[in-house]
Amino acid sequence: MEPQLAETADRTAGPPRNVLRSALSGLGVLALLTSALFGANAGGVRERFLGSETPQARPVAVSRAAEETVGRVPTTPPRATVLRSQPWWQKVGTVEGAGSMTASPLTIDDRAIQWRARWTCESGRLLVRAPSQNRPVVDAACPGAETGYGARTGDVSLEVTADGPWQLQVDQQVDVPLNEPPLPEMTAPDSAAVATGSFYRVDQVGTGTVTLYRTPDGAHALRLDDFFVTANTDLEIQLSPIQAPRTTEEVSDARSGTVASLDVTSGSLNFRFPPGLDPASYRSVVIWCERTKNAYAAASLNPA
Amino acid sequence: MTAATAFAPPAPDGLTLRLRGRVVPVVLPNRRDARLKLSTVVMTLHVLGQTLLDFKVSIAQIAISIAVCAIVEAAVTFRSVGMLVWPASGILTGSSVAFILRASGTRHGDWWSLNGIQFFVLAGLISLLSKHLIRPTGRHLFNPSNIGIVWCLLVIGPNHVFAQYLWWGPSRVGVVLAYAVILLGAVWILRSVRMIPMATSFLVTFAVLIGILALSGRSFIAIWSVDPLTGLSYWANIVLSPELLVFVFFMISDPQTAPKAPVGRLIYGAAVAAVAAALISFQPTEFAIKVSILASLTVVCAFVPVIDAYNRRSRQERSSPTGRAPAGIPLGRRLAAAARRPAVIAAAIVAVAAPVDAAILAGNRQVILIERGQVGARNAQ
Repeated sequence: MEPQLAETADRTAGPPRNVLRSALSGLGVLALLTSALFGANAGGVRERFLGSETPQARPVAVSRAAEETVGRVPTTPPRATVLRSQPWWQKVGTVEGAGSMTASPLTIDDRAIQWRARWTCESGRLLVRAPSQNRPVVDAACPGAETGYGARTGDVSLEVTADGPWQLQVDQQVDVPLNEPPLPEMTAPDSAAVATGSFYRVDQVGTGTVTLYRTPDGAHALRLDDFFVTANTDLEIQLSPIQAPRTTEEVSDARSGTVASLDVTSGSLNFRFPPGLDPASYRSVVIWCERTKNAYAAASLNPA
Repeated sequence: MTAATAFAPPAPDGLTLRLRGRVVPVVLPNRRDARLKLSTVVMTLHVLGQTLLDFKVSIAQIAISIAVCAIVEAAVTFRSVGMLVWPASGILTGSSVAFILRASGTRHGDWWSLNGIQFFVLAGLISLLSKHLIRPTGRHLFNPSNIGIVWCLLVIGPNHVFAQYLWWGPSRVGVVLAYAVILLGAVWILRSVRMIPMATSFLVTFAVLIGILALSGRSFIAIWSVDPLTGLSYWANIVLSPELLVFVFFMISDPQTAPKAPVGRLIYGAAVAAVAAALISFQPTEFAIKVSILASLTVVCAFVPVIDAYNRRSRQERSSPTGRAPAGIPLGRRLAAAARRPAVIAAAIVAVAAPVDAAILAGNRQVILIERGQVGARNAQ
């Protein structure tokens, strides 16, 4: 006889066997019910047990300076998101002095990947130590200007041993999206949105919108909203004369103009045009990877 | 899949094997067995997948899926009938699981990869468990490979497994050959099991309903498409997908889990199409659309005894001089008795969980990110 939940009662079997079969049937039904709830991902149980490819939701940054993210009331609410950006450097603070001292503590975000101290000094030797870090952040002869790194998060008090004046600019590396409020000149009364477009994929993923502003002083600026592009280093925002480029070849064959390098690859971002770049001769915005010579994504610019 | 001819080992043609002093009859494959034909078609498609169609499944994954299912099936059969029977159904279940299921991270051309092999084994075992344990009417209720794959896609989830893409490529020659194999295979197999009307019923109903969804502006995103698929692309990529045709011709056409009567089969085909379209109607991703299509069969299989009972009753009414079927046990009593049986409870759980869990995928943010390619190098597909 085949084992069957349906016909569990083996009529020739004695009571103990029937009890065992009933118990096994009950367990089977319970296992099925459990897997049904698991499949529904009730309360995120499936991801909790089996792991998730997507990161946990975290609040976005609202400024390139960490203290502004903490202290200000942003125009765009800092919502939590699972999206991640190419890691970018967010300013934490600057400490400076002359001679040896213990600098006032700087707060490194618990979710920061690492932090760096870009240092300058003028004479003698500069030694900077961070708590719980064997290797000094800086141990160099002065004058000089380089970068040292640390990984500890939370309040970090740097112990500086120096013979002369020094300065440390501390940045933390984060990978959350950056939701900047629009630039003041974008919201000024005489400012105008002259073109808009939506990003689409070329060689990589690109989503979100772009708006081209003419500011009251006659200059131009770009704003990317709800933007996402596949993370990579060496990305640039370029303008292309092609209306709707679909391939890297189309973009690379046409003369283009570079607006800015793209250090943050997710969020809402502002970019002022460099002097001399006239948008009138361009029809689209392209996210370009200079290292691999690839068009990642593009957006046609249509009159607003 | 696991289509065709009931397992009913005939008296062996004298071929025996002596095991521990016991004479064990041996039943070898029969070339008229439709399961052998189906295995031939599926294996041909596997070869095309490995050579021209860039299927993200390894030869090792296929071989192990088939081996596990075949060994388990042969062992269960030996235990139940005392014969060594060629495990045609087990082989078919294993190859079907490997044909549709994909383990995230497997690359095409990595022939001997064992990546995610546990999911293939699990899907195969779930398939066979359902076949041998969930038998409320004395025969298995659910299509074995279908329930195994649906279980894996829903319970293991989109981070670890996915189903073969609706779009097959990149080789046009490969796609044309695949269509040829599928269509010729369909005629070869479906004629012998009298399932062509059922397949037509499904295709017509499904094409119309998906057409309505396309016209109403529905769209879906897929990792292999730059833009969301809308309009004609939406319709064509779902209805004309080789994956869907494989589902129709070689999975839902299993006579063991389909209704017996011709009218019942027409109802069954249309019902699978209607449930699939209903589940697809609010799905924004290819992953969820594929799960919806597969889950639609799981749901309708649970109602096949009802369709069969309806047909029996209609037949009795037609043949009765009074025009009425003889009164049997009242429905309420029958339902109350059935509800106490574990197999019925299990079938009910599967029939409810499959569509509900599939529907919940519509709001799954991870699937959307995966299909958009927004999880970068860790993309599960």
